Amino acid sequence: MESVTSKQKENAATKEPILEINGLHKRYSEGKSNEVHAIRGLDLTVNKGDMMAIMGPSGCGKTTLLNMIGHLDRRSEGTIVINNIDTATLSDGKMTNFRRDNIGFIFQLFNLFPFLSAVENVETPLLLKGINSGVAREQAKMILRELGMGDRLYHLPSELSGGQQQRVAVARALITEPAIILGDEPTGDLDSTTSADVMHLFRRINKMNNQTLVLVTHNRWIAEQCDYIVHMSDGKISRVEQGPFTSQEEA
Amino acid sequence: MGLKSSFMVAKRSLWRRKTKNLSAILAVTLGVTLLVGIQITTDTLQNAFLTSLLQTEGEVDFSVANATTGGCLTQADYQKISNLAPDAVGIMPELTMNVPIMLGSQFDSSVKIAGISTDYPQEFGTFYDWKTGDEMDINDLLTDNTTILFSSRLAENLGLEKDVSLPISVTTEFTNLTITINIDPTTGAVIPTPVFGTERVELSVVGIFDSSRPGIGSKYKMVMALEYLQQWNSLQDVNRETDCVSSYLVALKTDHFTTEIEESYLQEQVDLFEASMPENSYSINSNRLTFFSVAEIVMTLLSTMLAALGLLVMVTGILLISNVQLMSVEDREFQTGVLRAVGENRRGIVQSILIENVFQGILGGIFGLIGGLAFGQAVALYLVELFGTGSLSVQPVVSEVVVILAVIVGVMLGIITGIIPALRASRVNIVDALRGIKTSFEKKSGRNLVAFGILLMIGGTLALLINGVFDESSQAIWLTEGWDTIDEWRNILIGAGLLFPGIGMVLSRFISRIKALNITAFALYLAPVILFVVAMGEWITDITGLSTDILIIGVTEIIVGSVLLVAVNLPPVMNALRSLLVKIRGLKGVGQIAPALISSHKSRSTLTFAIFAVIMTLNVTVAVLVPTNLSSVVETEESSKGIDLIVSLNKPEMLLPDTTYLEELYKLDSHITDVIPFKTYTPTTDYTKFVAVNSPLTPDFDASTSLLPMGYGEITADQIRGNATDASDSDWRYAFYLSSFPDGITKPVDSDVSDEELLKLSKESWDLFFDPTYTMAAYNVSLDALLSEDRDLTDVDLSNLGGYSGDELEGVAMLRDEYGEVIKNPVVFTDSFILPLGLQIWIPMNTTQYGAPVYQAFTVAGRLDSERAGGFPLSSFSIGGLFSDGDFDFMDMIGKIYLNEYWANQTNFLAEANGETSTSRAPDQYDYYLIKTSYEIDDPELDSVAQAIEEFTNTNNQGYRDLAEDNFYIASATVLYSKIESTLEMTERVVSFLQIYVTFGLVIGAVGMAVISVRNVSERKREIGMMRAIGFPRTQVMISVLLELVVLGVIGLVIGIINGVVISVGFANMQSAALIIPWNDLGVYLGFITLIALAAGAIPGLFASRIPPAEALRYVG
Repeated sequence: MESVTSKQKENAATKEPILEINGLHKRYSEGKSNEVHAIRGLDLTVNKGDMMAIMGPSGCGKTTLLNMIGHLDRRSEGTIVINNIDTATLSDGKMTNFRRDNIGFIFQLFNLFPFLSAVENVETPLLLKGINSGVAREQAKMILRELGMGDRLYHLPSELSGGQQQRVAVARALITEPAIILGDEPTGDLDSTTSADVMHLFRRINKMNNQTLVLVTHNRWIAEQCDYIVHMSDGKISRVEQGPFTSQEEA
Repeated sequence: MGLKSSFMVAKRSLWRRKTKNLSAILAVTLGVTLLVGIQITTDTLQNAFLTSLLQTEGEVDFSVANATTGGCLTQADYQKISNLAPDAVGIMPELTMNVPIMLGSQFDSSVKIAGISTDYPQEFGTFYDWKTGDEMDINDLLTDNTTILFSSRLAENLGLEKDVSLPISVTTEFTNLTITINIDPTTGAVIPTPVFGTERVELSVVGIFDSSRPGIGSKYKMVMALEYLQQWNSLQDVNRETDCVSSYLVALKTDHFTTEIEESYLQEQVDLFEASMPENSYSINSNRLTFFSVAEIVMTLLSTMLAALGLLVMVTGILLISNVQLMSVEDREFQTGVLRAVGENRRGIVQSILIENVFQGILGGIFGLIGGLAFGQAVALYLVELFGTGSLSVQPVVSEVVVILAVIVGVMLGIITGIIPALRASRVNIVDALRGIKTSFEKKSGRNLVAFGILLMIGGTLALLINGVFDESSQAIWLTEGWDTIDEWRNILIGAGLLFPGIGMVLSRFISRIKALNITAFALYLAPVILFVVAMGEWITDITGLSTDILIIGVTEIIVGSVLLVAVNLPPVMNALRSLLVKIRGLKGVGQIAPALISSHKSRSTLTFAIFAVIMTLNVTVAVLVPTNLSSVVETEESSKGIDLIVSLNKPEMLLPDTTYLEELYKLDSHITDVIPFKTYTPTTDYTKFVAVNSPLTPDFDASTSLLPMGYGEITADQIRGNATDASDSDWRYAFYLSSFPDGITKPVDSDVSDEELLKLSKESWDLFFDPTYTMAAYNVSLDALLSEDRDLTDVDLSNLGGYSGDELEGVAMLRDEYGEVIKNPVVFTDSFILPLGLQIWIPMNTTQYGAPVYQAFTVAGRLDSERAGGFPLSSFSIGGLFSDGDFDFMDMIGKIYLNEYWANQTNFLAEANGETSTSRAPDQYDYYLIKTSYEIDDPELDSVAQAIEEFTNTNNQGYRDLAEDNFYIASATVLYSKIESTLEMTERVVSFLQIYVTFGLVIGAVGMAVISVRNVSERKREIGMMRAIGFPRTQVMISVLLELVVLGVIGLVIGIINGVVISVGFANMQSAALIIPWNDLGVYLGFITLIALAAGAIPGLFASRIPPAEALRYVG
């Protein structure tokens, strides 16, 4: 992977904030009797090249926070600044492009297009950027080979195992070289060996490309593979655990 | 789990999936609406048609007349009739005369005036005033020999606004006879010359009765008191008989309009009369019976057409319902997996789905019934506009059967279309369903399918073997002759329809299904294509027997073949589309998603475009038909030195010292380049001028069946050859095409003769016609049906109406006289479809001194082609006759006989052969003019030329009336193009009627798209979330949704256009016409389909693009 090697030299990059969140609130069914206050005044700063885990009990607002960061959902209050851009100022169209260029998503259920083959799934974000289809196809193949999927390029998602599907999802998230990769329980559907493989992959990406990773997980072991762990409860950050953690070496 | 749990599951899913159920109910509703609508329209049409025919008969069941045309019945006959029909509720005498009438400048050359007794039996109905609706007492109104009543229809035709008393002029031919006697200077013979005086009487209209009301009023146009009409009539009679009655009308029951008489009972009564009354003295006539059979013929034809079309449109409804059912099942594969996982058995799954379907079917059936009633009502109203004449009352007829049928059909539709998806659902692989894996299609077939395939192959082979093997009247398919008749093709198509699918099923056991289906689809498509494109043009010479069933089979195979072919190859087609789109900036993402979506839901996509394929095939076929017809006529007209206008005068032009009507016409408009004048004559009531079709000199001669009131015309050499002296000269004045030719003209039997060849043959024939020494043998042919005693119109051979018909007389014996010599006669040509080629006829040349006609025998040697415009202007028969409002002119319909100059001069009605008579005329006293102009044939300016001619002739004390000092001249100028158009009008009317059904198919297509688009969006919420998450802008999400619909619509359209053109090539070949593709119409269809797709997709698409991605991603179906 050419892009990865070129960035290896920047491994010891200076710490600068890539994501700054201030006073974030999210209310569902606002103003109605069944209103849910999912995020309650949250502040958070993530630096470039950080690998961060978010943990907390079910319903504490982890996924909601991740969706806010990825702008898959609208915030009720507060600011989110990514790469020094206050996203509140962006129109929907600009936001879509911003998301396409700066944020990569990896989901628990992979969210691959079931009717597209592995390579087609991966190349789609490049096509959206307007890149020539031939070039996009080559890059997608390259990254899939890099991730050990060289012999599964033309398989449909339903013909792949969970781990393989997640690799395709990772490839799709990486292909636009986004500044931040967001993972919502990315290993939640995988067995422990496959999970370890995927986490290993994440760390390699993080170290080689200096890409920022934000993962939501229930799994302590997964969380410990990150640089630090942010604990949430009731829509707020309750505490931050700084790594490195012992299990990292085991892996 | 049993029925109870199935009910529970069905109830839950019915309630939870309200929108989805709604679409299924909507689909069934549309299907049932169509079915009910078709049934109601057919019933209504039949009823309206029959009613409109029967209404003109009033309460009359049959009539008894003198067998001799114009002959009288007397009071003694009344006794006979009443003795024979003791059950008759009423018998009334009637005297009818055809007279020319003039009102202001309005003129009608032949209006029937009826004399009825003022105290006629009340069983025949009552006259009602057209404005007030009050009963009219004709005793008080018809008080003398100048008072008459008008029918409201006639009044409206003449533009009368109110019930006024006004004078009309009626010309009656009085026997005001003076005889001048001359002595021939050379022979010394005495030549008596009778001179007839023509007089005109003024009658006053004293009342107008309502002719749209059933009963006696609808039967008559002009009514006079019997005794007074008898007085006028007696003036034409040598013996001055004043008690002449043309016929006695018999009513067997009253109130026919409410309850129609039993056809069989009426037939019995008529048979009884025919058996009891001597046939050479009386003629028994029941128009009512004729109408019953006419209505039956027309309706059988029309309802087969409707049924065929309805069936095909119905298919689209079934496709839609299947599609919706399929989606329902696909949609809940996961749910089905869960149900199976928790222990529901297969039967339970099928049960719960079928219970849902029954419920949807019942609701759909009920709504469909309501929709169908509305549809039927709307169509009925449209029918009035289309065929209505004011008197045609169209009441929607709803039979009880339809109501019950609607609901049953609804339920059946629900179940039948749901059963395959239900079975498919019950067979889901539980694990696959839970994991969301779609069952792959490319599997090989099982044994059952192979066995079924073998059965189909056997069936197909048997059908093919019918030709030449089981049925020896046809040829086997391995012979060239085995492909040249319609009957052979019927079996070929049926055979292909069974054999190829069978082969496909068997092959799919051994090769991939895709390949097998490709072979089947291609072969299935090819068979009817060969029929339409090649066979109909080249191989099949005789298209009689071309019936609806073979068209339905052919069209169905074309549609199924083409749809299957595209469906099987959808992935490659979609790949091609993808490669195209990903090259376009801004559509790369769309290109990645939309085509893949289409080919991933192959069945659903296929069902969607199949709807449009069916509808568009029908639409394009219908759209191509009319312009192809029209153009074939117009093109020939243009290339044949065409006539643009026809002018006819009500009587021969006046002999003027300084000018002629012909010269005046040239002066009227500088664009008039050539006027060809003709002399014509129609013996309205004068049977001494009727043509005889049996020799008047033999005892076989029977005036009632041997005399025909046909018109005559003279055609002289300079009228059509101009300066040209022989057939090879190109400088002919006018190209009169013939469709049948005299002996001595060698004609090819092939029906595929070019117009040039026909013209050459026609010119040679005209040369023979103008040769006074040419004679042609008479052949053993006869006018069958039209003049047979029962006048069974169903037997009339209409296939020779126009168009070249090959060597008709091959194998027909020539007539010989008592010495064994072939009978040869001078020749006449005709434009009548009832006189067969080779027939010997007798034309009264002039009258003996005692008033008896002197007959001359002729052979019918040629027929003007009524199809090619070259022969068209003179041939006045028009298909529109049956439906044209009011005046259905039988005499106009049976056509004219044309004599050459020599023989025309021997008559006393086209010339003055025997001195002055009331009808004889000078050599240049013309009454019929064909006009050529420098305008194009369809130039609207021609209308103003026509108007100028009519103004010049028809204005009192001005123009021609001033020149001739006669205000009784009327010209009617017709633009030929409008005449051509009017013959096509009926076709157009029927086509536009059929278009209603086709349009309804488009509605089904549109609804189908809307349903699919709504479902697509709700079902693909999650995928839409993914698209948004990885950076699809809203516009591209929206375009993806729309593109899918547009692509499916356009695939359907393209299939439809190709199929439509293929089928139309067949029709065009049949008529030897050039195929005209109405690109504008096709453009409109393209626009329409795109519009439907955009409209159907817009709201769901907008909705889809606005779902917050996070919410969409949570969706699990």
